[in-house]
Amino acid sequence: MNSLPSGGVPASEKKNRHRGWIPLVWLLAALGCGWIVATTPVTADLTVFVPRADPVADLLLEQLRSGPTTRLILVGLAGDSEAARATASRRLAENLRDNKLFARVANGADALPETELQALFAHRYRLSPTVAPERFTAEGLRAALEQRLRELQSPLAVLQKRWLPGDPTGELLTLLRVWRGGVGEPAKRLGVWFSPDGARALLLAETRASGYDLAGQREAVAAIRAGFAAAGVGTGVTVTMSGPGVLATLAEDQISAEAELRSTLAMAAMVLILIGVYRSPRTVWAGALPMLAALLAGAAAVDLLFGKMYMITLAFSVTLLGETLDYPTYLFSHRRAGETVEETQRQLWPTLRLCAATTLLGCLAMITPDFPGLSQLGVFTIAGIAAAVATARWLLPALLPPDWAPPRPGEVGAWADWLLEPRPKLALAFGALGLLLLAALIIRAPPLWEDNIAALSPVPRQLLQLDQELRAALGAPEVGRLIVITAPDAETALRHGERVAAWLDARQAEGALDGYDGPMRYLPSQQTQWQRQAQLPAPETLAAHLATATMELPFKPGLFQPFLDAVAAARTAPPLRPEDLRGTLLGARVDALLLAGARGWTALLPLSGVRDARALIADLPQTADSQAYYLDLRAETSRLVADFRDTALLRFGWGAALIVAVVWIGLRSWRGVAAALLPVLLALVVVVAALLALGERLSLFHLVSLLLVLGIGVDYGLFFSRPGTDPAARRRTLHALLVCCGSALTVFALLSTSALPALHAIGLTVSLGVVASFAAALALARPLLTRMS
Amino acid sequence: MKRWAWLWLLWWPLGLSAADEALDQVMRALAAVPTVKAVFREEKTLAILQEPLVSSGVLTYRAPAYLRKQTLRPQPEEYEADEHWLTVETPTDGRRQFDLNGYPQLRPFVEAIRATQAGDRATLERHYRLDFQGTPAEWSLRLTPREPGFARYLTAIVIRGRAAWIDSVETLEADGDRSLMTVSPR
Repeated sequence: MNSLPSGGVPASEKKNRHRGWIPLVWLLAALGCGWIVATTPVTADLTVFVPRADPVADLLLEQLRSGPTTRLILVGLAGDSEAARATASRRLAENLRDNKLFARVANGADALPETELQALFAHRYRLSPTVAPERFTAEGLRAALEQRLRELQSPLAVLQKRWLPGDPTGELLTLLRVWRGGVGEPAKRLGVWFSPDGARALLLAETRASGYDLAGQREAVAAIRAGFAAAGVGTGVTVTMSGPGVLATLAEDQISAEAELRSTLAMAAMVLILIGVYRSPRTVWAGALPMLAALLAGAAAVDLLFGKMYMITLAFSVTLLGETLDYPTYLFSHRRAGETVEETQRQLWPTLRLCAATTLLGCLAMITPDFPGLSQLGVFTIAGIAAAVATARWLLPALLPPDWAPPRPGEVGAWADWLLEPRPKLALAFGALGLLLLAALIIRAPPLWEDNIAALSPVPRQLLQLDQELRAALGAPEVGRLIVITAPDAETALRHGERVAAWLDARQAEGALDGYDGPMRYLPSQQTQWQRQAQLPAPETLAAHLATATMELPFKPGLFQPFLDAVAAARTAPPLRPEDLRGTLLGARVDALLLAGARGWTALLPLSGVRDARALIADLPQTADSQAYYLDLRAETSRLVADFRDTALLRFGWGAALIVAVVWIGLRSWRGVAAALLPVLLALVVVVAALLALGERLSLFHLVSLLLVLGIGVDYGLFFSRPGTDPAARRRTLHALLVCCGSALTVFALLSTSALPALHAIGLTVSLGVVASFAAALALARPLLTRMS
Repeated sequence: MKRWAWLWLLWWPLGLSAADEALDQVMRALAAVPTVKAVFREEKTLAILQEPLVSSGVLTYRAPAYLRKQTLRPQPEEYEADEHWLTVETPTDGRRQFDLNGYPQLRPFVEAIRATQAGDRATLERHYRLDFQGTPAEWSLRLTPREPGFARYLTAIVIRGRAAWIDSVETLEADGDRSLMTVSPR
């Protein structure tokens, strides 16, 4: 491990010929990996970048995955005239309302279907919050009947009077008000919901499928598109959709499209570079083999360890292409006449294995059980790099003819000597610049970190913005603020929900929030239903009160028999339970807010317009058997991301220490360690400064990319500081590094043009890093070695 | 429904007759009226009540699309239709505004009187089948709803008048309930 590549022992031709088994093993391994990759599913899950290290995180993930807010699809209709938008909204709602995919479609003009009205009517005395003893006294009934009589005078009475004989106290009207209430409604124009500026008609579709059931979401999106195609035909109205499910499907599409496009482009660029530089087709397949090995081994390792591969990992794999091409490139550029391929490779090996070891150690820091997304990237890179370097070391010498050399290796002219000439003053200037930048970074301390989870999401920014716009316009509960109640059973959850609701009413009156929703609004607890039943008078009492109340009123005798019968029946009817509502719209709404889980039941109370979160957290009512939490998903995820980042930074620190140790073990010289590592440290400072100057905020992806820069930059430092070689060898090294730097820059510059925040961050950071590392290593590595000796 | 509309269109030219010309004449006369101020008395006969509900108040119309029905007795109540907005004011619920475009079940009610007074035959035809009887001097116009959802509630509205003056509006509901509103100059 400690020998310097000062000449190497000539390998015998014989030994080389015995290596026929290497290609066979490689091929079998590649086929095995390919089989694993082909049989493992690829999933797109936005929550993989939510760390899992906190008890609240579980609740959070459950919410992000299947909470009611993830089932909402927000639809905006823009273009053409206001009337055309309103008409399209009405038609689209009609088209979708009968669709089994949706639990609810609302556009402001929703009248309940007859069967639902009948269901509400049938259960009115158990569901209506206005049921109280005073409603059924002679005075209460008299007041209600006089009110009904006034309503009959109205020209609109024709629509309502059929309910009168069974419901003189007007409980159905109360229930309809509850149904329409809940979280605040958007403004209406022409009878349907519109954005405040009137530019968009708005609809809300609640899918039955969870927001992360991508197949279900895809179906729902397709149904909306089809419904709109029929509703908007012949107009200039256009449809836009948003919501967690829609974003997830779009993300999936975008990531696969982006990853495909960019890996194809990167591949093509590689081939062009190889052919352009070495003028030999053989370099193309020889160069592609380590890459192929890296992709197969990386994917197979992830599949084996995780059982599935995330889309984003696949997209990230493209970055490996940039790094793995370096290994064959070192070989190609260092080839010279009169030396076998095996000999060249053996000379390079000490440096090469140090390069690989440093990269692998850097990536170890990414592996943590708390963060599956990041761990996958780490595992992918480690397995990929190991496979690529092994392929370059053992497969290439076994495959290439021993005396093969690309036509023009190392032929860089006199300018190379000029470039390579040590310039201590320039090095000092570089070092001073680095210190200055570091000082500036520390003193000015611009907002460094991006804690918004949205920035980590692979969804393009403009889509997230659209989502926020639609959400704000609809007054839809944000995917964000809610009260979560966990209880051993549905009844306890509902009872607790009722206590919290009473408490929230008071907070709402104080102006701490605009509104809330919750399962208890639609389905009271059995306890409350019993209380209501107990308040209903006995048949004889009610009949007597009614007789007094109707005196001198013009109602026909016997008209209210249905009312007497209904109250009598309601006194003994069993209370409604969640399962009794199955299959109705009411049931769908309750199901979305009251969930049965592995550890009991969860009631969700989405909040809207929260102005004073602290007042909400302070004395949330608790009970002995159940817990209520206030959850601000955004703040919570930001906190978790920040927490995780701090641990990640610490891990990266350990990774860096390991890298120093390994380089020292490899070189056994602090001077060598300084020459190999100081340039890349300088480059990292420059990159961070440049990123901040470009207005970027550092996310985890930047952090991962900096790690990659560290890996690549250490390689440059190691190669530039290889001691004891002659000027011709040094020229060949420069050639190799120029090719490496050029190809890496090409691949990562391609990535940086991606619209996906993650790919953009990685691309930009690594392109900057590659250039900075190359320049720093070129300027600093030699002077550091010679100066200090 | 569409098929029936087509059949009716086929049949319709045959019905072009003297009645049709008389209707046009009445419509033209009504359209020429810029404002109307009148008092009304309405009598509702409902199956659930032993005696009719009687109310009275003031009607105001301004061409082409403003109509206000202001009930004064037995208790104040106001309905005001302006373009596509309907404002309802009652002592219990206060003032509420509806967009008629969003409430297809309300619009025909409003148009029966407003479009007739405006002489807007096209709007009437959109919501109702028209059956005109009498002469331009003394006429009756029976409006039968086209929309099945609306026909579920309403059998017909019969408007009687003399020349450019509406005398009465009779509403016949599907369940047999009826109301008669008589209008006289103020």
